Amino acid sequence: MAMIEVEGLTKRYRDRTAIDGLTFSVREGAIVGFLGPNGAGKSTTMKILTGFMPATQGKAKVAGFDVFEQPLEAKRQIGYLPETPPLYPELTVRGFLEFVAELKAVPRREVRREVERVAAATGVTSELDRLNGTLSKGYRQRVGISQALLGGPKLLILDEPTEGLDPRQRNEVLQLVKGLAGKHTVVLSTHILAEVKAICEQVLIIHRGTLVANDTMAAITGGRENGLEEKFIQLTAN
Amino acid sequence: MRTILAIAKKELTIFLTTPWAWIVFTFFSFVASTFFMNALTDFRRAHADVAQLSGGWSQVEPEFQFLRNLTDGVVMPTFSAMLMVLMFLVPVLSARLFADERRQKTFELLMTSPISTTQIVVGKYLGGLLLVSLTIALLLVYPLVLTAYGSSFSAVTSEKTSTLEWPTVLLGFLGLLVWGAALLAIGTFISSLTESVIVAIVVTFCVSLLLLLVRILAPGAGEPLRSVLEYASFEAQLRNFMRGVFDPRPLVFFASLIAAFLVATHRSVESRRWV
Repeated sequence: MAMIEVEGLTKRYRDRTAIDGLTFSVREGAIVGFLGPNGAGKSTTMKILTGFMPATQGKAKVAGFDVFEQPLEAKRQIGYLPETPPLYPELTVRGFLEFVAELKAVPRREVRREVERVAAATGVTSELDRLNGTLSKGYRQRVGISQALLGGPKLLILDEPTEGLDPRQRNEVLQLVKGLAGKHTVVLSTHILAEVKAICEQVLIIHRGTLVANDTMAAITGGRENGLEEKFIQLTAN
Repeated sequence: MRTILAIAKKELTIFLTTPWAWIVFTFFSFVASTFFMNALTDFRRAHADVAQLSGGWSQVEPEFQFLRNLTDGVVMPTFSAMLMVLMFLVPVLSARLFADERRQKTFELLMTSPISTTQIVVGKYLGGLLLVSLTIALLLVYPLVLTAYGSSFSAVTSEKTSTLEWPTVLLGFLGLLVWGAALLAIGTFISSLTESVIVAIVVTFCVSLLLLLVRILAPGAGEPLRSVLEYASFEAQLRNFMRGVFDPRPLVFFASLIAAFLVATHRSVESRRWV
C-alpha cells in the first residue's frame, strides 16, 4: 500500500506559485529523500502533507486518508519535524514531550514510558529535566525528532532535520533516521546530497515547484560515484 | 477534553515559569492594597465623624449610608476599583496566548497535531481563565482580614459593622470574574491576530479603553444611542453585582460577549492556514 499519494498538488500564493502539479507516491516503509534547491517548494509540500495548510488544487493522501477531507485521521498517522523545531523554551524537555504525547492521545498510563522511549531513541535522556530554552542547537533538533516519534506514527516527515548541525551531530541524526527504517516510512527534505546518498532508497527532486525526478537511488545515480550530484545539477540548472 | 486540559495546563505552566504572571500578581496586590487601605481610612473617619452626631447614622445622607458597614463601605469599593485595574492587567496575560505560538514557531506543532482548532482555542482560554481567577483570588485576603480583625471596629462605633456579609462579597467576586473572563476573551482574539506580544498588549489595552469611553460618552449622547451605550457599558452591567444584588442579565451579556470573541478567535486561527 502507498503511504503517501499525491496527485496534481498545486499551491499558489497571492503572487507566486510555490508548487505546481506535483504527482508522486511513496510506498510503506521507504526512506525518501526530498531534494531541491532552497525555495523549490519542499517545505510547502510538507506543510500541505501534514495538514498545516491546504493546497490550492490537487489531492494528497496519507495512509489512505485525504489530508484535507479527513485531517484528524491523516494527522494521527504523521510525526512531523518542521523546519524550526517547535519547542516551548519555558518547558522542560520532559514536560514538552509529555504535552505532545497528550496532544497525540497516547494512552495516559503509557505517556511516561513513551516519553522515555523516544528520549532514549534520540539520545536526549540525560537532558530530560533541562529547559528547552537552554538546549544547544543539536539537542533542540533531537528533541524535535523525538517529539515526532511520539506515539509511533506510521509516517515521519522531517523538514531539514540536519540543518545547522555540526558534522558529528549530522552523522548521528542520519544514523538515527536510518535506524527508523522498516518501522516507519520516512520523508526527509534536505539540500545536502551526501545525506540522501547515505540513507535514502527513493529520491524526489523538486525544482521551482515542479517535480523533475522521482526514482530509486540506483536508477538516478546509474551506479556512478557522483551520479546524484550530476543529475541534481543537470535537473536544476535553469 | 483531555486535550483541552493538556493545553490549559501547558499555558498555566508557561505563565508561572515566566515573569508574566508574577508581575501581574505583584502589581495587582500592590494596587489592591492601596485601594483597600484608602477605603479603610475613609471608613474609620466616617465612623468617627458619625459618632459625634447626636442622631448617629439616621442623620447621615443616603449617599453616604454605604459607609455604615464593612462590606459596602470597604470591600465593595475596593472590588469596584479593581474592575478598572483588571482592564490593564488582563491584556498582559492574554497577549501571549497565540502571539507567542506564532513567534516561537510552535503554532505549526499545534496545527499539525490530531486536535481540532476548537480544542486549541478553548484550551488556551481555559488556561488564561485559571490564571485570571488566581489573580482575582488574591483579593480574598481583604475580606478574610476583615473577618478576623473587623471586631476591633466596634470600639469606633456602636453599629453592628464588624461582620462581613459573605453573600455580597461572593457576588463581588463573581462580578470581577465575569469581567476578567470577558476581557480575556477579547485579548485572546487580538492575540490571535498578531505575532507580536507587545502589539497584542497595546491593542487590547486600546480596546479596553474604548469600553471605558462608552461609559463616559453615554450621558452626553441622545436617544436611542444613549440607551445602547448605557447597555453596553460594563459598569452598568456590573453595578448590581457590586451592590450585592444578583442579576442574571449581566451573566447573559458577558457570556454572549465571551462566546462571540472565542468564535472570532476560532475563525482567525483557522484563517491562518489559508495565507
